[in-house]
Amino acid sequence: MDERIEKLTLMASQLRRDVVNAVYYAKDGHPGPCMSAADLMAVLYFDLLRLNPEDPSWIDRDRFILSKGHACPLWYAALARRGYFPPVELKTLRVLGSRLQGHPDLKKTPGVDANSGSLGHGLSQACGLAIAARKRGSDSLNVVITGDGELNEGIVWEAAMAIAHLKLTNVIAIVDNNGMQSGGKVEKVSGLYPLREKWEAFGWYVVEEDGHDIGRLLPVLERAFQRGRATREERQGMSLLPDHLRRGRASAGVPHPDQPVVLIAHTLKGKGVPYMEGDNSWHKRVPTDEEHQLALSILGGQDLE
Amino acid sequence: MQGLEALAEEDDRIMLVCADSLKAMRADPFLEKFPDRVVELGIAEQNAAGVSAGLALGGLIPYFATYAGFITMRACEQIRTFIAYPNLDVKMVGINGGLAAGEREGVSHQFFEDLAIMRSIPNITVLVPADAGQARQAAKAAAEIPGPVYIRLGSGRDPVIFDDKQPFVPGKIHILEQRGNDLVFFCNGLMIPRVLVASALLEAKGIACTVVEVHTLKPLDTEAIVELLKDCRAAVTAEDHNIIGGLGSAIMECAAEHCPVPVARIGLRDVFPGSGHPEALLDFYGMSVNDIVEAAISTINRKPNPLPNEE
Repeated sequence: MDERIEKLTLMASQLRRDVVNAVYYAKDGHPGPCMSAADLMAVLYFDLLRLNPEDPSWIDRDRFILSKGHACPLWYAALARRGYFPPVELKTLRVLGSRLQGHPDLKKTPGVDANSGSLGHGLSQACGLAIAARKRGSDSLNVVITGDGELNEGIVWEAAMAIAHLKLTNVIAIVDNNGMQSGGKVEKVSGLYPLREKWEAFGWYVVEEDGHDIGRLLPVLERAFQRGRATREERQGMSLLPDHLRRGRASAGVPHPDQPVVLIAHTLKGKGVPYMEGDNSWHKRVPTDEEHQLALSILGGQDLE
Repeated sequence: MQGLEALAEEDDRIMLVCADSLKAMRADPFLEKFPDRVVELGIAEQNAAGVSAGLALGGLIPYFATYAGFITMRACEQIRTFIAYPNLDVKMVGINGGLAAGEREGVSHQFFEDLAIMRSIPNITVLVPADAGQARQAAKAAAEIPGPVYIRLGSGRDPVIFDDKQPFVPGKIHILEQRGNDLVFFCNGLMIPRVLVASALLEAKGIACTVVEVHTLKPLDTEAIVELLKDCRAAVTAEDHNIIGGLGSAIMECAAEHCPVPVARIGLRDVFPGSGHPEALLDFYGMSVNDIVEAAISTINRKPNPLPNEE
């Protein structure tokens, strides 16, 4: 486990570096919202998701949807590092003719499984994908990272209601709860909170974790993935918490076997680049030459080649 | 719906997606026959469109069926960005299309902008069958057309116009009668019977017209339409839709670009209508047989002299 955590921690830094580079070279993009989800993406793309970059349209791959599509430089970085296309292509972000569109386009970018960019649409598409997977008897999972701001959208709750109603346990939702949206703090812009209770009221089982602590994220998400692939019988009594966190309580972390699971990941916008952390001006902003260099020196890792 | 049952029988990928619209679609027999092929999502059309996209991404062929306006307006952006943009195999079936089909329900259920909306979005094939038989054929044809298709239906109480032997060929105009070339009528949906009556009345006045059904608004059969415009040099369009953005606009765009002859549009004249009996509504809002006859006569009188393209 420790080795896996170490590898994923390094990869999360690499993805952050790639994002800074992509936005710097493109002179456009949303770095802040990428940084808060980088640890989650590292865990998903470099450990848990069942993928085949050699065959991006493999029918039984897990489907991942970055519902907060403006954080696509992070998605592109993960796809590049996972082998879907050369990392150097990240320099073409948002350039005319590039495969890396301003927001995700499944027809242009290998490995992108669904369009996003207009907020709130990841869960709906995952719902359809999950029904299709179930129909063909596949255990492939449908994983969505949504922002917290985009939970303002009514369609998210239409989808949340439908997924729980249809008992689509092969959907896993992750909320990148960085507390900020374009216009400022989430609680100031809209009435999103209490968030946990909202998901619960819609029939979901909620787990909350520090979205930057890979040592905690990995075991919980790993169990969520196992559960997502399990039969209904196997899901009976299956806990999402590792034994040491259950503290002897058999029922701790155990969803109803028909319940979908959402992980609310507590994150920090701009995480990993000190001058971006908590500063919402980095929602959409391009680093200067100095800022670029500073970020690279902090993050380490490799350049785009 | 019978068309969809037959399709589902043949193709395991066909799914019916509803937004509490099973009853409105009269889809109970489908549900009984294929309970696992129906996705009921409740009164939530935006989600239904997103789920349809997901089903298509998962290799299925969803038919998303509910009221025309709830598809094309409530879920417009979902259709545009998540179905049309990635060119997914989602077939959308909108009922209550038009003023007459919505009849006594009033404006909230009278959808006379749907075709304008769908026609302006890339990748979507737009079909307007005129009766139940054509609707069955359109549903079948849609499965064979790659990418998104919008099928606009009426109330389900529409009169039968065609016998089932007449083929429904998407993308092609359908010439219904050729009495002469004084004027060509382009029409679709339940305006067809009215235009045929108007054409007969005109012949009694010595005016011989051609009547053409344009059941595919997109892609438009431009070549054949231009041929008819060149031959007749005057046209009237008739549709149960706003005169902006639907068949009338499509024909005018085509004429303006390729053969600029006078065209008049019969349709709802950009106002919100009221409730009423369908036939009475069409008469009241400028779509009566008499309106069609008068439009034809005044359009013929506007034929340019000398005629354009005169060699």
